[in-house]
Amino acid sequence: MRLETRKLLDRSFTASGVLAIVLMTSALVILLAPMFIRGSGAIFFTGTVEHRRLMMEKFERGNRPTIEAEIASARAAREPVYRMMAEFEKQLEAMPATERRKMTTQLKELKKALRSLLGPAPGEIRPMLMRDQFGQTRWDRAQVKLGRVMFREEWDYSHPERGSVKVMKPRADDFAGTALAPLFPYLSANLDKMLLPAKTVYWQFLTDESFDSHFFGGIWPELLGTFYLTVGAMLFAIPMGLIAAIYLTEYAPENTFVSFLRTCISTLAGVPSIVFGLFGLAFFINTLGVSQSKSVLVGSMTLALMILPTVIRASEEAILAVPRTFKEAALSLGAGRWHTVMTVILPAALPGILTGIVISMGRAAGETAPIIFTAAVSVGKPLALWQVFTHPTPALSWNIYNLATEHEAMDEIRHVQYGLVLVLVMLVLLLNLTAILLRARVAKRLRG
Amino acid sequence: MATGLNSSGVDARRHGSSLLLSHRARRVQRITGLLGSGFLLAVTSLSTFAVLFIFFFIARDALPFFQLQGFTQFFTSAHWYPSSATPEFGSLAIFVGSGLVTLGAALVAVPLGITAAVCLSDVLPFSTRQVVKPVIEILAAIPSVAYGFFALVVFAPLLQERGGQLLQVASWVIGAPMAILGVVVAGDLLTDRIPAGARSGARWILISVLGAVAFWGLWRLGVSLGGITISSGTNALNVSIILGIMALPTVVSVAEDAIQATGRELREGSYALGATRSETILRTILPAASSGIMAAVILGVMRAVGETMVVWMASGNAAQIPQPWYNMLQPVRTLTATIAGDMGEADQATGSSRFHVLFAMALCLLVFSFICNLVSEWGVRRTRRKVGR
Amino acid sequence: MKTINKVMAMMAVVGMGVGAAVAADANSIVVDGSTTVGPVAKAFAEYYMGKHQSVNITVSESGSGNGAKSLINAACDVATMSRPMKNSEKKAAQDAGVLAIEHVVALDGLAVIVHSSNPRGNLTIEQIRDIFTGKITNWRELGGRDQKIVVISRDTNSGTYESFNELVMKGQKLKGAAEYVGSGGAIRQRVLSTEAAIGYVGLAFTEGVKTLQVNGIIPTPETVIAKTYPIASPLYMYTNGRPKEGTALHDFVNLCKTPEGKRIVEDTGYVPVK
Repeated sequence: MRLETRKLLDRSFTASGVLAIVLMTSALVILLAPMFIRGSGAIFFTGTVEHRRLMMEKFERGNRPTIEAEIASARAAREPVYRMMAEFEKQLEAMPATERRKMTTQLKELKKALRSLLGPAPGEIRPMLMRDQFGQTRWDRAQVKLGRVMFREEWDYSHPERGSVKVMKPRADDFAGTALAPLFPYLSANLDKMLLPAKTVYWQFLTDESFDSHFFGGIWPELLGTFYLTVGAMLFAIPMGLIAAIYLTEYAPENTFVSFLRTCISTLAGVPSIVFGLFGLAFFINTLGVSQSKSVLVGSMTLALMILPTVIRASEEAILAVPRTFKEAALSLGAGRWHTVMTVILPAALPGILTGIVISMGRAAGETAPIIFTAAVSVGKPLALWQVFTHPTPALSWNIYNLATEHEAMDEIRHVQYGLVLVLVMLVLLLNLTAILLRARVAKRLRG
Repeated sequence: MATGLNSSGVDARRHGSSLLLSHRARRVQRITGLLGSGFLLAVTSLSTFAVLFIFFFIARDALPFFQLQGFTQFFTSAHWYPSSATPEFGSLAIFVGSGLVTLGAALVAVPLGITAAVCLSDVLPFSTRQVVKPVIEILAAIPSVAYGFFALVVFAPLLQERGGQLLQVASWVIGAPMAILGVVVAGDLLTDRIPAGARSGARWILISVLGAVAFWGLWRLGVSLGGITISSGTNALNVSIILGIMALPTVVSVAEDAIQATGRELREGSYALGATRSETILRTILPAASSGIMAAVILGVMRAVGETMVVWMASGNAAQIPQPWYNMLQPVRTLTATIAGDMGEADQATGSSRFHVLFAMALCLLVFSFICNLVSEWGVRRTRRKVGR
Repeated sequence: MKTINKVMAMMAVVGMGVGAAVAADANSIVVDGSTTVGPVAKAFAEYYMGKHQSVNITVSESGSGNGAKSLINAACDVATMSRPMKNSEKKAAQDAGVLAIEHVVALDGLAVIVHSSNPRGNLTIEQIRDIFTGKITNWRELGGRDQKIVVISRDTNSGTYESFNELVMKGQKLKGAAEYVGSGGAIRQRVLSTEAAIGYVGLAFTEGVKTLQVNGIIPTPETVIAKTYPIASPLYMYTNGRPKEGTALHDFVNLCKTPEGKRIVEDTGYVPVK
């Protein structure tokens, strides 16, 4: 082969490598971008007066006189809407029977759409469900709902070769010539006066309880649940993992039993996470009876088991990375083996061990499968510390699954789902960032 | 043991300059030492025996299923009707589903991962590597439920609405650079023997002809892919791609370790013989690291097989063998998703086969991951031994 | 040594805590079971906790079967189910010393839903059965568009699936290509976004999709109460023994009989019991 050809081959080899890296990086960007962009929408959004009313009624937040003034002005802006409705209902009674029936159905639809946009009409009995008590709290959702008020979805089946064609019929046409005709231009022109959109920063998303199965409020119970589960898992995993690592590196003789132990640990690392969940159910709950049913404690124990191999491995590596001279120096000064481990080796290996611990914390916080059968519920109050032994808890990871696949109106609460995802991802990324920084420090120390 | 040390210090002073410990102190030290390491051993065993416990408890609940239903139906029938009046537990379709998804994930993760690993260890300069490494770490750190959420909420609707176009774009993004590289290299190789005078001209002609053919092929492929409509966005393809991305970090980091472990000497030897970098890597380094790379592939596959949330959320959970079997655009059901989803109905007290079949599946997963683990460990050890470390 | 002491002390404290805290407190109600009853149970829980601050009610939705199992294992106080308890479950409960008492909280019609673009407005039970068994695979066969039918079913752990099996499938088996999803909301979501899809859900999950007439009858509260709609079934809550009057548990399961409870049931989309 000619030299040029070989050089060309070499270059194209490099190019394909770079391509692979670029693909990988773009995959990460594509993955994270929607989470960050839409997730931040849970905290930073354009809130309507309904949001401020909700905050005031539920949490006593905000300046009461200002908000009441806002509510009054919004009510004034809405007043013509309800006046037109009342007028139309009078007209309706005068209509011939067939037309009246048709109009009544359409009015019912319109009323429903309006109610979901603006909340219950004045004078209406207060609905039981919170989602019906308030209008749209978010301006972006309000726009969607406005579309539902303005247009009626209809399907045109007259061209079978093209399939069904979606036609957006303006409701204004349905009510042309009645008292409701001016309603539609009025609505679209004055929606901002009725809902008073304003830039809102809802930090309390992180610390509020949720209301009406996550239609409103924040994610505090989930956040707290994840915190308990993670910390609990670490309480079990760290001592056990550290002791195992110390034994394996400093004490274990090289015999079949110890190599069997090592095989066990690496097998444990390969067990699928759902199997841990099954095991937690079959062993901790059904056999040992650690708690009567799902509880944070059982979830923590299951998670601890899952991250144990990671903790052991990381600690082992960190201990092995401590220069031999440290240990020899300590031993030569007359320190016992245990003394050497505790005073010389562990402190030197600490940053490395911490790195491993922090990374496995991230894993424990994010894992879902092991807690499905052992700890997670979809709705619950935030737990007090003593309740963790007996009570199950909502958790970030489980509730992402739950809200995205099991909730009755999952497309209405996308912002909460994205918010949950963002919080979980941020949490895990922060933990990993800590690990990266720690590792950089270790590298520096070992070099210098 | 710290007390042992103290007492020995006191003893040493009492006996003047002698460094010998008293008989008693020595015994105390020996016993505390033994007790200490015994305690350590006990704790270590406790944590490692967990895996035996897992095997035991899963097997204990799995065996009744095989006693009740036997092996034949479970492994050979594709009729999965666990809760009908006459239940059938044919799990073949579920095994195929797991296999298909894993194969797809491997097709994404293995070429990409190994190329990236080579690039990371041997091609990129140190500073770039420092930037790319966190990318891999972040990919590995993102929780599986977040991947699942992406697959379900972002990717599945996208696939369903513009699946064809998406496939078209993907075929271009991957195909076009590959085609350019392939054409240029092929043109160069084929004109190798032509005398130097005519070579340059011949090469250009050949490259443009090949290029035209390649791009025509790509264009045709793109058009036919663009015509595909995907009836359901939650399917094997969706899950395969996401699982592939999830398995990437494992493949990259283990493969990179294996490639790095081959050491400087091999590379320097190869360079000294006049090989280019690509020749060094392809002919010397990769063969030397082959068992380690195999370990990387196996660990990646294990990650894909054992993953629950992504497949549960986005695979469609249809217990069918796609027609034809490689049809990635149909929904499938996997072992892990079946365990997670069906545990609700399953109960020891009622319909016992219904409960135990899930443990039978878990046992299959366990055995599979155990074997994979042994093989990959063997691979890693072999690489180390081969390169003498 | 100090560190190890600390660790040991920590573990001891944790261990004692476990021992002390196993006894459950009276002011907490654990609800587990059907995702179909979920919206009602969650709304009840929210309403009740709003009235009684000291009571903590947790609701999980892991499927009717799981609800029954939890009740038998004494892992929950209330099992919500969208089907009645099977004889095998009742027997298992008896063996475990649990007396399962049934409370009907609401009525539900199983709505068969399609994408709103679907020209088909009604199907007979037989046609629905043929679609779900795989005998009919294309909408064209029913006079619709030339599109392969995407069949979406609830997961086999749900009571809705069992009710559908009993009332519509009559013992015949669903085709293998049917996609299984975890909740009514998920079926609605899939049908909403898939033109050729068909699925079945509780009445609370029909927003935005087209509800088919079954044998010419549209599911509404009226037709469900009058039993003219052919696929309707009650929704249940089960407790261990009859709850004592005055307890939170008693109030909770009987909430559906109060006017407020009826309005909650109505607002979630189901049909309140008389």
